[in-house]
Amino acid sequence: MKIDNSLPLEYGTEQNKMNIFGFWIFIGAEVMLFATLFATYFTLEHRTGSGPAGSEIFELTPVLIETIVLLTSSFMIGLGVHAMRIGRKNAMITFFSITLLLGLVFLGVEIYEFTHYAHIGAGLQVSAFTGILLTTLGTHGAHVTIGLFWGLFIILQVKKRGLTPQTANKAFIFSLYWHFLDVVWIFIFSFIYLKGMM
Amino acid sequence: MSELFPRKQVMGFVFSLVLTAAALTVYFLDVSFTVGITILLATAFVQAAVQLVGFMHVGENEDKTMIYMNIYYGLAIALFTIFGTLLIMVWDM
Amino acid sequence: MDYFDRFAIPHPSPAIYASMVAIGLTMIAIVIGLTYFKKWGYLWSEWLTTVDHKRIGIMYLISALLMLFRGGVDALMMRAQTAVPDNKLLDAQHYNEVFTTHGVVMIIFMAMPFIYALMNLVVPLQIGARDVAFPRLNALSFWLFFMGAMLFNISFVIGGSPDAGWTSYFPLAGNDFSQSVGTNYYLIAIQIAGIGTLISGINFIATIFKMRAPGMKLMKMPMFTWTALITNAIVVFAFPVLTITLLLGTMDRLFGTHIFSMTNGGMDMLWANLFWVWGHPEVYILVLPAFGIYSEVISTFSRRNLYGYKSMVASIVIISFMSFLVWMHHFFTMGQGPLSNSIFSITTMAIAIPTGIKIFNWLLTMRKGKIEFTVPMLYSVGFIPIFTIGGVTGVMLGMASADYQYHNTMFLVAHFHYTIIPGVVFAMLAGLTYWWPKMFGFMLNERIGKWAFWFVAIGFNVTFFPMFFTGLDGQARRMYTYSEATGFGPLNMLSFAGAIGLAIGFALIVYNVYYSTRHASRDIGSDPWNARTLEWATQTPVQSYNFARTPQVDSIEAFWDYKKNGKPLFKGEIEKIHMPNNSGMPFIMSCIFFVWGFSLVFSMWIPAIITTIAIFACLAHRSFEKDDGHYVSVEEIEATEKDWEVLADENR
Repeated sequence: MKIDNSLPLEYGTEQNKMNIFGFWIFIGAEVMLFATLFATYFTLEHRTGSGPAGSEIFELTPVLIETIVLLTSSFMIGLGVHAMRIGRKNAMITFFSITLLLGLVFLGVEIYEFTHYAHIGAGLQVSAFTGILLTTLGTHGAHVTIGLFWGLFIILQVKKRGLTPQTANKAFIFSLYWHFLDVVWIFIFSFIYLKGMM
Repeated sequence: MSELFPRKQVMGFVFSLVLTAAALTVYFLDVSFTVGITILLATAFVQAAVQLVGFMHVGENEDKTMIYMNIYYGLAIALFTIFGTLLIMVWDM
Repeated sequence: MDYFDRFAIPHPSPAIYASMVAIGLTMIAIVIGLTYFKKWGYLWSEWLTTVDHKRIGIMYLISALLMLFRGGVDALMMRAQTAVPDNKLLDAQHYNEVFTTHGVVMIIFMAMPFIYALMNLVVPLQIGARDVAFPRLNALSFWLFFMGAMLFNISFVIGGSPDAGWTSYFPLAGNDFSQSVGTNYYLIAIQIAGIGTLISGINFIATIFKMRAPGMKLMKMPMFTWTALITNAIVVFAFPVLTITLLLGTMDRLFGTHIFSMTNGGMDMLWANLFWVWGHPEVYILVLPAFGIYSEVISTFSRRNLYGYKSMVASIVIISFMSFLVWMHHFFTMGQGPLSNSIFSITTMAIAIPTGIKIFNWLLTMRKGKIEFTVPMLYSVGFIPIFTIGGVTGVMLGMASADYQYHNTMFLVAHFHYTIIPGVVFAMLAGLTYWWPKMFGFMLNERIGKWAFWFVAIGFNVTFFPMFFTGLDGQARRMYTYSEATGFGPLNMLSFAGAIGLAIGFALIVYNVYYSTRHASRDIGSDPWNARTLEWATQTPVQSYNFARTPQVDSIEAFWDYKKNGKPLFKGEIEKIHMPNNSGMPFIMSCIFFVWGFSLVFSMWIPAIITTIAIFACLAHRSFEKDDGHYVSVEEIEATEKDWEVLADENR
């Protein structure tokens, strides 16, 4: 493997550059994935059948907690990548761990939110609106869950193998994924919750 | 310690928080639908751009032209899909 | 026994029982054969675990051909059923199942693997690369596609085939009207295959952008590589739409949501909308690689460079974008207002313009050329007039108000077969014949090939041209029979006769493979067609590492320049080559996906959860695995290249 030392570690080899490029293409696909969910959501938003409407079930507090927590986690993983670039392995692991902890908090609040909806009669099978709402949120939540495992594996690998072109590359790609999930959440926050409560 | 907190990223984070707060005005103030949706569109897309450029380092990559094209292309088709679907299924039904 | 009742077929018939026995016997024969000839190890180490793009391509090709015959038998059954009025060969239920599986198999499990077969075989060679960007993901793509196809194909012997049409519109496809598990098969099998396709899309974009030979700028890529790039760009942005559409359909059928239902606010028409947001770009995913193949073939056999390279590139780029803007023309009659119908009518007609540009480019490439009518060239020349009929009738259908007359009739069926068969099948047969020597080291017999071409071309027209008339006279598609008083009988009989001609054509192609394998000369050199692009600058069959030294390129037709003008292609010393290791993971993971899909189809939750965990365990294993590949030593390369490079120099 030829390693180019003029670039950050994660770009060090040709394969690494290709991995990062390929992941950006994957993010392009994810944009369409969530766009389709949004298109469906906006179409069905007011088709509530006999169930409740968004303005009746959305609550600001849990949503705001989720937003701040996910935003902070995205900031933390950004710091983690920065620490990785200046070679501070332990700081990087700390930042990545905080990221995942915040991700866990996000997931916890989301689970609370889901059970709350089920409790107040806005379960999955109630109406077209609740169905697509929970599917959209659930798809994002599933991405976060996968991210938690993925991030954990990467922390373990960096711990065991140190900062090599391979581990740095994986960590950087994971950070792209995590930032992207925050971007998706910004749109969910703005156009599902705030628009619904407006 | 301070080298672990680069200015650019801290500023990006603070800016994101400000944008989130700005978006909340549509909840706390009594705005019309048009004004509200304009605020939300502005805050959401600016914040997405902050993430993309500030945190995801899209501009540092040697393939940035291709990556920007990929994002713009995806975004354009995504918007066509969303608004096309709304046109067909809601506005013109 | 109650538990096993769910696996029974809801509408059994002797034909299905016969196929069950046939499938069982074939599988036993394969197992016995592999054991008797002691080929299990060979199968595992050389094929099931391979990450070599050429072998993956060949596996795609074999699957595509198998599926072509499965879909072809469905087609023959339909034509036989409608050949005479009030026919009793198939009942309504079986006819529904047959036209559904015909559509799905032909589009998703025949055309898609066929284009990926040729992309896998050709694209890395055309750009001078050693393999694709992510070889192991490439294997995963293939195996996911394969398992998806197998899952779909067992539907007719376990649990019942899908019967709601290949578009599977709700509410017909919902639980109320489709009570068998057939539509579950449709949703899950296509989902699995679709994930594979999406991965391929990312893989090929990365390959083409990042692994081109030095000097090959974007505007110096061969036309097939250009079309492959744009096709994969469409795949990356269209397939996620399909993923979500199928997911929402699955939610409705398995988890009782009301997204596409007719109660509690659900909107059944939304399925049609989302399906075609993917479905229309899919049409261009299929047809663009075909355009690339025709460009290569026409240029090679006219002995001229491609006319209007830049306009060709521009038109495919425009097509790729516009393909996302026309989807509503598939359901003009659903009840939207004139505003949206007009907008999509205009975009539909506009997309005919870039396609027209391409037709003129091919015609002008042939002008004043020294045309050689080989089999690939016959398909390419035959394509132009037939596809034009398909395109022109497409513009007719694109007029929203006139569409009320054509919609859902045999006119539509004739139209899309007139685009897809010359636009995909002819191209694939042309590409197959053209690149066959590169894959297998011998050529297909030209004489049998020409007979096959004429049977296919004439049979095709005899089959589908009458449908324009019966359609305009009011024969609806997807009706299993009609009364004698309608007068549709004679033309439908003519269609059936044409279908027999098509079947003979395809049988001749199979015979050609058999005949050529036995009798064709193996001494054909590495460039039997006197072609122009880099894939012919390799040994035949191609070395595992493709190129001993990376080619240096400074024109669109680097290999032609090398042959005619003596521009050196390979410079510098041979160095050791880094190659990826084989891996069993893609195959194992796809097998788990198969069980996962099967469990979901029958709502068996415990195996579904176990296999979901197993899939993530595979991903975790992959994450922790250390695999740096291996090197091919200089001595080994020199030994492989010794005989060949000398020959190449002599040819020059």
